[in-house]
Amino acid sequence: MYTLLPVLNVFSRILIAFAFSFLVPLAWAWSEDHEQYRYVWEGAFALAAVSGLAVLAATRRHRRELQARDGFLLVNLVWIVLPAYAALPLLFTVPGIGWTKAYFEAMSALTATGATALSGLDYLPVSVNVWRCFLQLVGGLGIMLLVVAVLPMLGLGGYQVYKAETPGPMKDAKFTPRISETARGLWGVYAAFSVACMLAYRWAGMSWADAFMHMCTTMGLGGFSSHDASLGHFSSPTIEAVATVFMALAGISFVRYFIVIRSRSLRPIIRDREIRTYVTVLLASIGLIASLLLAHGVYDDAALALRTSAFHVVSLATTTGYASTDYAQWPVFAPVLLLFLGCFVSCAGSTGGGIKMVRMVLLIKQARRELVRSIHPRVVNPVTMGGAILPMSVMNATFGFMLIYGAVTMGLTMLLLFTGLDIVTAFSAVVATVNNIGPGLGQVGPASNFGVLSGFQIWVLTFAMLLGRLELLTVLVLFTGSFWRK
Amino acid sequence: MPFLRIFPVLGAIVMVFALTMLVPLGVSAWTHDGAEAAYPLAMLVTFAVGLLMRSAVWRVGRHLDLQARDGILLVGMVWTLLPLFASLPLLLHFSGTASPMSFTDAYFESMSGLTTTGSTVLVGLDALPASINLWRCFLQWLGGMGILVLAVAILPMLGVGGSQLFRAEATGPMKDAKLTPRITETAKGLWSVYSLLSLACVLGYWLAGMPALDAWIHMFSTLSLGGLSSHDSSFGFFQSPAMEWVAIVFMLLASCNFALYFVALTKRNPARIWRDAEWRGSMALLVGSGVFIGGLLLYKGTMSDPLDTLRVALFNVVSIGSTTGYSTVDYTTWPVFAPLFMIMLSGIATSAGSTGAGIKMARLVILFKQAKREMSRIVHPRAVNPVTLGGHLIDSSTIFSVLGFMLVYGGTIIGLTMLLLLTDMPFDTAFTAVVASVNNMGPGLNEVGPAGNFAGLTDFQTWVCTAAMLLGRLEMLSFLVLFTPGFWRK
Repeated sequence: MYTLLPVLNVFSRILIAFAFSFLVPLAWAWSEDHEQYRYVWEGAFALAAVSGLAVLAATRRHRRELQARDGFLLVNLVWIVLPAYAALPLLFTVPGIGWTKAYFEAMSALTATGATALSGLDYLPVSVNVWRCFLQLVGGLGIMLLVVAVLPMLGLGGYQVYKAETPGPMKDAKFTPRISETARGLWGVYAAFSVACMLAYRWAGMSWADAFMHMCTTMGLGGFSSHDASLGHFSSPTIEAVATVFMALAGISFVRYFIVIRSRSLRPIIRDREIRTYVTVLLASIGLIASLLLAHGVYDDAALALRTSAFHVVSLATTTGYASTDYAQWPVFAPVLLLFLGCFVSCAGSTGGGIKMVRMVLLIKQARRELVRSIHPRVVNPVTMGGAILPMSVMNATFGFMLIYGAVTMGLTMLLLFTGLDIVTAFSAVVATVNNIGPGLGQVGPASNFGVLSGFQIWVLTFAMLLGRLELLTVLVLFTGSFWRK
Repeated sequence: MPFLRIFPVLGAIVMVFALTMLVPLGVSAWTHDGAEAAYPLAMLVTFAVGLLMRSAVWRVGRHLDLQARDGILLVGMVWTLLPLFASLPLLLHFSGTASPMSFTDAYFESMSGLTTTGSTVLVGLDALPASINLWRCFLQWLGGMGILVLAVAILPMLGVGGSQLFRAEATGPMKDAKLTPRITETAKGLWSVYSLLSLACVLGYWLAGMPALDAWIHMFSTLSLGGLSSHDSSFGFFQSPAMEWVAIVFMLLASCNFALYFVALTKRNPARIWRDAEWRGSMALLVGSGVFIGGLLLYKGTMSDPLDTLRVALFNVVSIGSTTGYSTVDYTTWPVFAPLFMIMLSGIATSAGSTGAGIKMARLVILFKQAKREMSRIVHPRAVNPVTLGGHLIDSSTIFSVLGFMLVYGGTIIGLTMLLLLTDMPFDTAFTAVVASVNNMGPGLNEVGPAGNFAGLTDFQTWVCTAAMLLGRLEMLSFLVLFTPGFWRK
């Protein structure tokens, strides 16, 4: 009989590790002297640690190497249960938040989405904002492992295209050595970038607290902020420039940086087809939106238009979701394009969401191939990537993903429409959450937040974030009969 | 000129098309509606151009051997040139009135006719000469004939977007690589079914109490799943439940594969229709959705009488879902879910081999099975579970073609929507206008909704929608391929 116990055993160890992240807001609560909130963080830490230890003790006899099927369950368990723990402190520190919004907020943080259901962020205790933002950094670490190490082994995710060149023993069917290997390599690079980002924010004029929080949400491509006005709060071109640079850097897989450092050569980045397309699309979109803003007279100054366009294009395209102005007021083409970019621009292996650029490259190649085939039906022209022919199974998986991606977006939009939401809000909210972008349009636009939605609608979008983050199939496969059969 | 050899065929088609203008001319002469002057000149010009093209026969010879590539070009030319000629009577007629029609609008209107879309830029339809209305709708009926041949005989041979799936069981020599015999063979079979159903439809409308001329006009746009009407308020003008039921039945019949009817007729075996998976899929989806929306309307209190609600919901859902585009009420005032659901339906509900457009039921079934297969492959990576349709194995290159079609379909919708957004059109109008045009359905939402029309669009926006109709009709790929350099290389 299939048993959950070995999965729970591994999960309990992750939970215990996660418990230590409660110490970060606790430290802020100590230093900022929020006496009344200390017990919340201490309590959360204790609860997570104790329940983790209890499960560990109860399942200690069932420790074994995990199989593919266990991998699916574990990933789902992590991304469903950890937000629940993360949401608990919010219930006691944010007045009138309620379980639905607290869980939404925690899910949004851990999936690095950045959609918030809260308003009045500036008036929240510092430790609460630190917690929200720090969760995105933690989420980013988890996502990185997920997309680089776990999903490719399950035959999922955009990163499987790069299977061959991933550091670590890829062909090994065992999860644990591979994951710890990856973690060591990538987290070092991630940490280095994070420190650089924080120092840059501090240098650009943020307070240490703000620099720390915005570093967390920049590197995780999350997009939470400690201010209702997001980065617009600072009205500082320097800060926006720093954010733009680090978001753009984080939109590329950290494995690339790791390889660059190890091989002491920039070639792996410069020669990579995905990264070149990434840069091209970003530059073209920045230029397009800047000229649109100038042509419509939104800005008179070309430099200002270019800077604002660059910041928002990079922010939305990398699925971060910062805003420095209410871009929903721009000519309608611009916000829709921004949202659309969020669906596919970030690179596979990064902490960004959506389809991923590498899949897009493959799809375009395949479409072109079909065009050729309709003229020359018997021609043999396989899809290649970096000179190597892609196996059929990867193409199949890519198409399968696209199909389900389209169906999920459409299905969830229909569900929201059914609850009476208008089409712009419903569609953009689903796109913004499935791709883990953050702000949508209409009622959930950059100037507003998800708190205006009903409880049911918020749960739908919470589910959408989870689906998007776990690349859809990881979650959906649990609903198929064959998964549970022997 | 490498493609000179398609000209004799093209010329013949254009000349035959010129002759079809006799129909509105006859009606005009019979009813004295004041549009008589428009047709002879248009006919003459069309016929002359056709003759000129046909004269290429002296250069290339009579016995033609058209290849796949010629077929693609021919199809593209037919569907861009015929609307040009079809717009002549409109241009000529309106040039003499107080409100002349621009070329953009006239071309849009004829394209909407020949692609059986049913969007219109004209207002005050009730006041137009009878023959002009007849011409608009007759174009749809002609377009429907063209589409049947296109869908059953030409596209499957070209293998566009997995359309090799759609080949009918027994109409014509499929393995023959020559286009001409196959097309003639198919045309004979399908057009006889089409004509039979058309006669039945006219009779149905007439018995339901429609005036004879209106019965013909609406038959033209029903059987072709077009949706143009001689009244501004579309079918709502008649306020007749009986006529609506007739329309529902014939729209349903027309959204299925005509080759299937042909086979059932020749084999004298109606059970074949029932046994067809795609037929059952289309029927179940359309009727089921109608009942579902009816339930929603009752539940939300939009309407109260169950039988009335059922009829109104069925009529509008079947009309939009089958890409016809008639309406009896302004369904955009229904709960927002309903109109969007109906628009979505128009992309998937019709069968291949019908006059509908969009993704088609057969492709949808394949996609669904493929998605299911991928899901089970994740759990059991080594399992062998091929995709089948109606008991036949579907090979992986066909599946890839279908997936490629979906990509291009999605890409076209997104790209054209973006283009309209660039002209500052609101998102929901732009998106639904493109979807309605690509699916050859007709009305969208808001400004282009069932209560409005496409007249308010700028010239550029009108051209975008015209292109969308053409792309949708030719299944995207067979038109886009003309823009690849590979096509023109020897």
